[in-house]
Amino acid sequence: MSLYGLMAVFADPEALVEAARGMRQRGYRRIDAFSPFPMKELDGILEIPKTRLPWVVLAGGIAGAALVYALIWYSVEVDYPINVGGRPLHSWPPFVVIAFEAGILGAAFAGFLGVLAANGLPRYYHPVFNAESFSYARGGKFYLLIEAADPRYRKGVTRGQLTRLGAETVEEIKA
Amino acid sequence: MADTSANSPVVLRGRHDFPEISGRIGSIVLNGRLPRHFWTAFFLCFLLVLLLLYSITYLIAVGVGAYGINMPVVWGTMISNFVWWIGIGHAGTLISAVLLLLRQPWRASINRFAEAMTLFAVAMAGLFPILHLGRPWFFYWLLPLPNVHMHWPQWRSPLVWDFAAIATYATVSLLFWYMGLLPDLAVLRDRARSRPAQLFYGILALGWRGSAHHWARYQVVYFLLAALATPLVVSVHSIVSLDFTFAITPGYHSTIFPPYFVAGALLSGFAMVLTIAIPLRWAFSVEDLITLRHMDNAAKLMIAAGMVVAYGYVSEAFFAWYSGEPYERAMMVQRAIGPYAPMFWTMLSLNCGVLQLLWFTRVRRNMPLLFAIAIAINVGMWIERYIIVVTGPSRDYLPSAWGQQSLTWLDFGILFGSVGTFFALVFLFIRILPAITIFEVEELAEEEGKLK
Repeated sequence: MSLYGLMAVFADPEALVEAARGMRQRGYRRIDAFSPFPMKELDGILEIPKTRLPWVVLAGGIAGAALVYALIWYSVEVDYPINVGGRPLHSWPPFVVIAFEAGILGAAFAGFLGVLAANGLPRYYHPVFNAESFSYARGGKFYLLIEAADPRYRKGVTRGQLTRLGAETVEEIKA
Repeated sequence: MADTSANSPVVLRGRHDFPEISGRIGSIVLNGRLPRHFWTAFFLCFLLVLLLLYSITYLIAVGVGAYGINMPVVWGTMISNFVWWIGIGHAGTLISAVLLLLRQPWRASINRFAEAMTLFAVAMAGLFPILHLGRPWFFYWLLPLPNVHMHWPQWRSPLVWDFAAIATYATVSLLFWYMGLLPDLAVLRDRARSRPAQLFYGILALGWRGSAHHWARYQVVYFLLAALATPLVVSVHSIVSLDFTFAITPGYHSTIFPPYFVAGALLSGFAMVLTIAIPLRWAFSVEDLITLRHMDNAAKLMIAAGMVVAYGYVSEAFFAWYSGEPYERAMMVQRAIGPYAPMFWTMLSLNCGVLQLLWFTRVRRNMPLLFAIAIAINVGMWIERYIIVVTGPSRDYLPSAWGQQSLTWLDFGILFGSVGTFFALVFLFIRILPAITIFEVEELAEEEGKLK
């Protein structure tokens, strides 16, 4: 079993933010933080790139609306045109209603499936679950992971740095 | 909370810590520490589930005439039940989506069960148009499926729009709800002691681990889903109202209907939120998480929506007179003094009269009284939908054919059956999933400095 990284446990969110900032300043790049609820401050510290998912949602919405509108257009103009007293076959106002609903549906599916795909979920095995201390059972603590693959990772040194930054425990986790 | 006045109750009462919040909410599910009367109440609801199954079987075997519709009133309680239930669902979406977008902290502890309420209410609502079809087994004809008939749905019909709107609403609500559940399912996965519970919550949690990278994307998409749900909820009830307004029947053909229906939906929906929340916070002793502030705000939203509904009543009556159309006018007069007069005046006294009590702070913070008012509004709003559905066709353009819908046991069997099924689903939800959002309450406690 190879070493995946070091998992440091912090008691409160401020300590995690401080530790994440400290480790970034020491030049670590392959780090991740885990928290029971979202923490905005971490986005800047960990340099998390702005997600492109809003564009995926927009594309899903446009695709849903366009596909359904095209289906309706095909059915009334091509597949089954019915002349009712010379009224236009392509009477667009009522079709917009269903296309709107389909657009919302497409956007919602794109967002939901997109966030799962981007986050790599479902993923039932991940090395962080090997950490004894990693559990949200008691509401969760705040965790900082330094991957062993980080170029600045030195077993004893990294552990010492994490402890000095206020980690309650530091644990080696296996991949 | 800087923006609250000194005398308004707090969103979160007392001081908390993370083990305590997750423990209290999680143990309701995992230890099955349910109040003594939980299963008694569930059993009573289950009897109503059986009543619903029996009633539906009877309806399908005998036909739609069994519930008292006949020419000229061919729309009966199936349609009013449908509108009522879909309206109840809307408050859940409003709480979870609109209050999220407006960054209102008081949504955190009530959004989960409000969303569950939406799902179950939509599930109930979806039954009724199908039962109303008379040949429910052909409901799939509303879908553009390639089948042997080679036909297409009538895209210009509000009934087909309705089908699209309800199906979209149910699906989007489910996605939004499940996405909000993910972090809490991870908490339950980690808390669970027994192997079946670990597997159940573990599989549902999809391996959520709370990584900062995940949270960043999660939050963006969660907000986007909320932003999508908001126009959706308005469009759904507007489309429901178009079922009526597209007909030229007196009392149906009115441009006030879409906003008036949306406001009615919020009024009845918030009444249902209170109907569930007041017993829930009492039975599970979570009065410090779901505080008087929540109840107070929901009551204020009820009166806001209720005043728009009252405006709708006035506007309907005014435009019936202003149209100069004798049948419109006759229908409106008949609504007030005709065969449905007792129901009409009951409706007005509940939805416009009793509602006014909510102007008083003391009433809004008196839980038994607020609960009674919420029930009264639920009843009043059901009557409103019934009045709208039946009075129009009962007094349409051929006075010699005027008639009434007679309420039969089957009408009530299906209505109360659906109410029981709804509450049975709510009970199962409370038993199986965390009814209060753990991670958002923790975040709230952290933000408000309410941590021990």
